[in-house]
Amino acid sequence: MTGAVQIDNLTVRYAGATALDDVTLAVAENEMTALIGANGAGKSTLVKALCGLIRPDSGTITVHGRLAHVPEGREMFPDMTVDDNLRLGAWRRRRRDTAPIYDLLPDLAAIRSRRAGTLSGGQQQMVAIGRALMADPEVLVIDELSLGLAPMIVTSLVGHLRNLHATRNLSVLLIEQNARLALDLCRHAYVLESGRIVLHGPAATLARDPRVTAAYLGGHVTVTP
Amino acid sequence: MSGPVPPARGRGGTVNRWAIAVVAVLTLALPPLLPERHLATFVLLLLAATVTVGVSLLMGYAGQVSLGQASFYAIGAYAAALPAVHGVPSLLGLALAPVAAAVAAVLLGAPLLRLRGHHLAFATLAVQLILLSLLAQADWAGGAIGLQGIPRLTVLGVELRDLGYAYAAWLVLAAALLIARNIVDSRPGRALRAAATSETAAAASGVAIGRHRLAVFTLSAAMAGLAGGVYAFYLGYLSPGSFPVLLSIEFVVMAVVGGLGTIAGPVVGATVIILLVQVLNTLGTQPGMPDYAPSVLSYAVYAVLLIVCVLYLPRGLVPALRRTGRRPS
Amino acid sequence: MSDLIGYLITGLGIGAGFALVASGLVAIYRVTRVVNFAQGGFAVLAALLTSTLLAAGLPHGVAELGGVALGALAGLIVGVVAIGRPGTSPGTSLIVTLGLGVLAYAVEVLIWGDQPRSFPGLTGVAEVAGARLPAHYLLILAVTAPVFALMAWFFARTDLGRALTACASNRYAAQVVGIDVRRMGLLAFTIGGALGGLAGVLTTPVQQVTFDSDVTLIVNGFAAAVLGGLTRPMIALAGGLLLGVTQTLVAGYGGGAYQMEVALVLMLTVMIVQAARTGPVPETAR
Repeated sequence: MTGAVQIDNLTVRYAGATALDDVTLAVAENEMTALIGANGAGKSTLVKALCGLIRPDSGTITVHGRLAHVPEGREMFPDMTVDDNLRLGAWRRRRRDTAPIYDLLPDLAAIRSRRAGTLSGGQQQMVAIGRALMADPEVLVIDELSLGLAPMIVTSLVGHLRNLHATRNLSVLLIEQNARLALDLCRHAYVLESGRIVLHGPAATLARDPRVTAAYLGGHVTVTP
Repeated sequence: MSGPVPPARGRGGTVNRWAIAVVAVLTLALPPLLPERHLATFVLLLLAATVTVGVSLLMGYAGQVSLGQASFYAIGAYAAALPAVHGVPSLLGLALAPVAAAVAAVLLGAPLLRLRGHHLAFATLAVQLILLSLLAQADWAGGAIGLQGIPRLTVLGVELRDLGYAYAAWLVLAAALLIARNIVDSRPGRALRAAATSETAAAASGVAIGRHRLAVFTLSAAMAGLAGGVYAFYLGYLSPGSFPVLLSIEFVVMAVVGGLGTIAGPVVGATVIILLVQVLNTLGTQPGMPDYAPSVLSYAVYAVLLIVCVLYLPRGLVPALRRTGRRPS
Repeated sequence: MSDLIGYLITGLGIGAGFALVASGLVAIYRVTRVVNFAQGGFAVLAALLTSTLLAAGLPHGVAELGGVALGALAGLIVGVVAIGRPGTSPGTSLIVTLGLGVLAYAVEVLIWGDQPRSFPGLTGVAEVAGARLPAHYLLILAVTAPVFALMAWFFARTDLGRALTACASNRYAAQVVGIDVRRMGLLAFTIGGALGGLAGVLTTPVQQVTFDSDVTLIVNGFAAAVLGGLTRPMIALAGGLLLGVTQTLVAGYGGGAYQMEVALVLMLTVMIVQAARTGPVPETAR
């Protein structure tokens, strides 16, 4: 089976500093895959390269199907309504009807005429996911789902995400600082440190790996990230 | 502008010093050899270069675009000419020129230098338009028709002829260059360069950027004012029409073409442009050419040089030439 | 009293021209963060071409549309040169548009010479509440009002307009959803060119145009636009109308020589007050 996303030997340098060093990563079709790592490990660079916002220095990226991106920090169009934000998610498509998104994420229907800048962080994250879904993607890249959100909100978002994944053919790459959340949610996981993939495998295996528990799951041994 | 302008330091000080000496001797020997027509170009070139030194300081070191530098040229010219017309010794009038321009710069700079980028560009443009409009209505300054009968410059009882103005302009430019070099190497100069690169960083280091910026603004105005004073006596006639907005834009073009943040840049920029315009002017006034040819050609030269330099040689000719010159070694 | 009404309507007509130039500046600035110094040139080019087309026997309406089309084309060309190269900062683009404004002088003098030109607009005299004034001023207002309404509808209600607004609102997010921000910038320049062209075509019958009329237009347009921080078209409209009326009143009641100063002093005051309120205006470069 070919993967939905296949990244091979990806290297990205910024002004001489290497942000990503020979990264190889695959997202299997209809699966959720996690990429975990500390701040500055190179996660955002990988996302930008994957979404075509920066050009890699070497390596190849293959995506099967449409890819949509839920960016870190949500990145709303703050002066526009929720409905307009959603419609813009379908900019590259001809169909721009937002009704299916309100069926999928009913919470959004109630706030469809509110300006996105006035929403709470959790609501904005929901809009960002809805906006990405408007592109009718086969692959969804979610950058920092939980960042800055209260645990209850995160739980609800995760519930929505599980539902989406169950009801649609959707491959997901989840980039997360919260490793416990990512390993719970996903089947496969990669660990990025200083621009290199240092560990990868089934999420359940990684969750028991002492190096992961120590560095990312608050184990007893403290390792500087 | 695109990116910070790195300091252009003279490497191999002795080589540089020799080059400067050679250029100085050549330019001093040149005026007597020039026919009258070309002597006028020589004088105007040196005066334009003097104003451009100030514009380059302002843009390269204080990071600010002024689209109104011709206002200070005009203020200097009128400040020198008006007293002289009323019998005040012309040399005193000339001394007044940079002072009047500097005072105007301090008064205007205090509110205006709070602005940055395109706001400052439009503000300086507005100031020049206001000045031109006021001058056109000021009967005591000749109004729109202009100020005529400005006496010639008299130094130690000798009335300057054309050659004399060439040397006066030479001295004015030399003084401006010397001052500029000292500013660049001074502590405030380094602080300003830092500020042009990153305002927050400079502010964090506790540098009094506002005061330094006003100082450079004032100094650049004084240079323009002094050049304007010489201009007034040399031409013997002034009108608001002598200082169009386009003149301010021309100074910016010269600064950008030569290279911001270099000492030689303004001189090279002014020389290249004025000579080019002169050549095209000669071409445009050939028999058979339409009478609008010279102005079309000069507009085109200013426009194309400005656009090409800003997009493809953002550091200007001087650093670009230096780079290509260094490559073989 | 009838004098006052006459001045008001004349002022609104003149101000509509400023407002159109200003809204062009705003359309471009919002999307690209570039202040387009060549904005006045679009009006001049459009007016000059219209005068030629009318002289060649084209009917009114067609000739004016030709002028506006040239304004739009000029806008696109300025956009390509000013923002076409990736990595060009807004500060650099401003200087490029300055250069293109001067280049327009060369083209205009070459084709049309340096003498003032005009062409007849709506002829006849209209009477409004006892005030008699050239009917053309009413035509200016009758065209400008629907144009602004159309723009408001376009930017808020169409997908293309929303995409332009999106670039203005959050450039990065626009890229994330797949909007080509450079292409949107070029579209904004084209719209700005058409708006500038419309200003020139509408006001030339009541105000002659020369190749260097662009300075007056850009300064008044910038003064109107800066009131709304260069990003709010409706405030630019109000600012333009206000400037037009004030200048006409100043001229009408004896200060004709100081018309231009009204716009200039207003612009300086607004900018200085804005800077004092928000601290130093951040550098445009980014």
